[in-house]
Amino acid sequence: MNSDTMLTVDKLEVVYKRAITAVQGISLSVARGQIVAVIGTNGAGKSTTLRAISGFIGIDDARVTDGSVTFKGQRIDNRPPHTIARLGIALVPEREKVFPNLSIAENLAAPVAARASRSERRRREELVYHFFPRLAELRARIGGLLSGGERQMLAIGSALVCHPELLLIDELSLGLAPVVVEGLMERLVQIRRELDITILLVEQSASVALAISDYGYVLENGRVVLDGDAARLKDHPEIKEFYLGQARAGDRRSYAEIKQYRRSRRWYG
Amino acid sequence: MQLIVNILVLAAIYALISCGYVLVYRVSRVLNLAHGELMMLGGYMLIVTAATISSNPIAAIAGALVLSLMVGGLVYVFLMRKMTGEMVLAAVLATVALGILLRGLVILFWSAQIQYPAQTLALSNPTLNLPGGASISFYSAMLIVATVVVYSTLFAFLRFGSWGIRMRAAGQSPLLAAQRGINLHGVYALAWGLSTLTGSLAGILIALDSGLSQTIVMIGLKAFPAALVGGLDSLVGALAGSLIVAAAEVLMIHYVDPLLADVVPFLVLIGMLVVRPWGLFGTREALDRV
Ligand SMILES: Nc1ncnc2c1ncn2[C@@H]1O[C@H](COP(=O)(O)OP(=O)(O)OP(=O)(O)O)[C@@H](O)[C@H]1O
Ligand SMILES: [Mg+2]
Repeated sequence: MNSDTMLTVDKLEVVYKRAITAVQGISLSVARGQIVAVIGTNGAGKSTTLRAISGFIGIDDARVTDGSVTFKGQRIDNRPPHTIARLGIALVPEREKVFPNLSIAENLAAPVAARASRSERRRREELVYHFFPRLAELRARIGGLLSGGERQMLAIGSALVCHPELLLIDELSLGLAPVVVEGLMERLVQIRRELDITILLVEQSASVALAISDYGYVLENGRVVLDGDAARLKDHPEIKEFYLGQARAGDRRSYAEIKQYRRSRRWYG
Repeated sequence: MQLIVNILVLAAIYALISCGYVLVYRVSRVLNLAHGELMMLGGYMLIVTAATISSNPIAAIAGALVLSLMVGGLVYVFLMRKMTGEMVLAAVLATVALGILLRGLVILFWSAQIQYPAQTLALSNPTLNLPGGASISFYSAMLIVATVVVYSTLFAFLRFGSWGIRMRAAGQSPLLAAQRGINLHGVYALAWGLSTLTGSLAGILIALDSGLSQTIVMIGLKAFPAALVGGLDSLVGALAGSLIVAAAEVLMIHYVDPLLADVVPFLVLIGMLVVRPWGLFGTREALDRV
């Protein structure tokens, strides 16, 4: 953890409905300018972690019960989402990512930006159309009528209008064709380069995420089970075996089980 | 001809009131059943400002409207804010309780006696003669003008104003709105403020036209079917609904029996609910969430 750390999540614990612990002691950190991937299977707690960083509202009935989230030296856990957004963290959520009955132009006009002079605002909106020319063609169409790929573009675009320093993206690839995902990933790399934005990327599909990331964390059952440089993670035998589907043993098991299995094998010689 | 004028005036009253139901419902999915009482309170605000601020009618009315805007915002901050994230039913019940409380307070301070703020302000209510032998009172005409102005302003605000767009956004997805930097409490308070402001404007003009007492709450209640017939989350719908309900009511009074007047809006409502439960212009899914 150096002085260039943008976001620190320390021993985070999140409880839903005062009963369900979805995240139990996750720690991770994101350095300025990096793309960091968080991978894990369904229900591992990836979305919950991102939501904890970007803030819960009343109807979520969720709370950070332990640990902390620090953004640029400032504690932000359990703050309302709109203040966190205005500090410079924007989330592209897994679901409900655009306003369904607002046009694309209105979707881009709705966000309250962190730094909001009128000219700056207009520049930002033009920038979104520059990154995603497809959105410019469809300006007047409402969000609910967009295809999955267009909707994802609009979601990223409206997050960018908020003028974030840190972009959180939940499952960019969800339900999209591989070629579309590839295009979006390239766009992310371009956005990071041109806007000097830091990105925290949550993905189920490890290969896609690790391909553009600098660093990666593997989550399971609400805990970090592995982390390291993205390049090293890609070659990690257990990641290969389980997340990249290059299994040696025929059947698939959870990462923890495999580890357990290895350990026991080692134990019994 | 006179019949058409009567329909238009009544429709204007209902429309001016029902846009308040629509505003609050559209951003927060809460039925504000205290809207009739808040509208009545607008009339009493005028009595207050006429006595304290100025006997200049324009200043008194402006003062009453500003007060109403604040009352609406405060109702949200001190009562409805606690309800955010709770069940919609709890919030609706809270508005029912608020309505009863307001009625009690009004009786306490001003008694149940009918008041004439127009006299206090030394205003007359001349009758204007229209072509075709019809006539309309000055404040009834003002009600129509106010409705046109309020609706045009609201349309423009919701369509082009940044905060209007944000109000619509918050109504569609509060979570995403918050994640995009929109302060939900601010937006809800604004909706309550505007809703109470427009309701009060109706209350003030009705009070100037025909006097002020508890009975005008009934008018607010009858505007509710008008809003619901239109779909409750649509301003165009509220306009259309108001016209339908007003026409049915006036025609019923004229051709059948004046005693039916208060029942007609609810008959129209029931008919509507049977045929198109989501209203004329409402979104179909909107109703599931009530
Ligand atoms: N609103 C909620 N109320 C109660 N429990 C929840 C809620 N949201 C998530 N959970 C639980 O928290 C755990 C973690 O869920 P989360 O959505 O964070 O997983 P995820 O890693 O994002 O999974 P996926 O890859 O399927 O999106 C799950 O066991 C889930 O059932
Ligand atoms: Mg998820």
